[in-house]
Amino acid sequence: MSVANETLYIKGEQSVEVQTRDVRLGDLVAMECGQQNIVSKLKTLKILKMPEKGQHRFVISVLKIIECIHKEYPNLEIQNLGSPDFIVTYEARGKKNKFLEGCKIVLVVITTFIGAAFAIMTFNNDSGITTLFDQIYEALMGSPKEGFSILELSYSIGIIVGILVFFNHFGKKKFSVDPTPIEVEMRLYEKDIQTTLIENYSRKGQELDVGKSDSKSGSSGGDRS
Amino acid sequence: MWGNQILNQVLLVVIGLSSGVVVAGGLFGFIVSLGVVSDLADRTHTGHMVLLYEDIIALGGIVGNLWYVYQFQFGESVVMLGIFGLFAGIFVGCWTMAIAEILNVFPIFIRRGKLVRAVPYIILGLAIGKGAGNLIYFILGW
Repeated sequence: MSVANETLYIKGEQSVEVQTRDVRLGDLVAMECGQQNIVSKLKTLKILKMPEKGQHRFVISVLKIIECIHKEYPNLEIQNLGSPDFIVTYEARGKKNKFLEGCKIVLVVITTFIGAAFAIMTFNNDSGITTLFDQIYEALMGSPKEGFSILELSYSIGIIVGILVFFNHFGKKKFSVDPTPIEVEMRLYEKDIQTTLIENYSRKGQELDVGKSDSKSGSSGGDRS
Repeated sequence: MWGNQILNQVLLVVIGLSSGVVVAGGLFGFIVSLGVVSDLADRTHTGHMVLLYEDIIALGGIVGNLWYVYQFQFGESVVMLGIFGLFAGIFVGCWTMAIAEILNVFPIFIRRGKLVRAVPYIILGLAIGKGAGNLIYFILGW
C-alpha cells in the first residue's frame, strides 16, 4: 500500500489506564490521517502486553510507538501532537470495592471536618482573637465588653463568606465557572506524580524506548510480535 | 452621643466582617495550597469526591469558628473527645509534614547528606520524633 506523502497525527494523554492486558495503539493515542483505513488498522496494533504477575505500570516513549507504526508503514510520516512519554497503568476491571471506598470517603470527611475546625480554632487561639475583640470593642465603644457583642457575630459571618468565596461553591451550587482551589491543587499534584514517574523510569533505564533490548530494559512486558 | 454609639457599632460590624473574610481566605488558602486535602484524596483514590471534601472543610471551618467564638457547651463525652483528638491529630500530622514538604526540607537534606537510600528511615524517624515530642510536650505540661 502506498502511504508516501501521507501524514499521521497522533495525540496521547500523559497517563493512560487500561483494562485489558493487551495494550493496543488505539488505547494510547488518538489518531488522524488522510487515509482512514490506516487509522482503523493502526488502532488494533499491539504495543505491549501486561504480564500476569509483577509490575503493571509502564512508561513508554513515543519513539517506541513510532517505531511500532513504522514496522507496519515504513514510509508514513508521523506527527506527535501529544505527550512524548506515556504512563500506562493496568487496572483490572471490577476490582473496585464500593464499601471500602465509602469507608475511605467517610474517614477523609471526618478528618477534613475536624481538621478544619481545629485549624481555625488554633488560628484564633494563636492570634489571641478574644483579647483583640475586647480591645477593639473598648477602643470603639469606650466601655469594656460584657458578654458577646456584634463583633463576634460579624466576624463569624465574615468567616463564612470568606470560606465560601474562597472555595467558590457550596454543595452543587457553584458561584462561578472556574474550577475550585482543590480541583486545581489535585491536578497539579497528579501532574507532579506523572512527571516524577516518567523521570524515575527513564533514569533507571526502564522506559520502553527505541534502541534498547527488552531483556536489558528490566521491564520485559513489551511484546514485539 | 447615641448617634456616635450607633456609628461605632457599624464600625464594629465592618471590622468583624472584613477581618473574618480575610482570615478565612488566608487560612484556607494555606490549608489548600499545602495540599493536605488533595494528598488525602489521592491516597484514598477518591479524587472524584473533592467537591464534597471542600464543602466539608468549609463546614468544619464555619462550625469550628462558631464553637470557638461562642464557646458552646456540649455534653460530657470522653468518646467524642477521643474522636476529636484523633482526627485533629491526623490532620495536623499531615499538615506539618506538608509544610516540611513545601519548604523543600527533604530534598535539601537528602541532597546535602547524599542520603537517598535512607529516605524511608528519615520519614519514620520524623514521624516517631514528632509523636514523642508531642507526648513530652503534654506530659511535662509545657
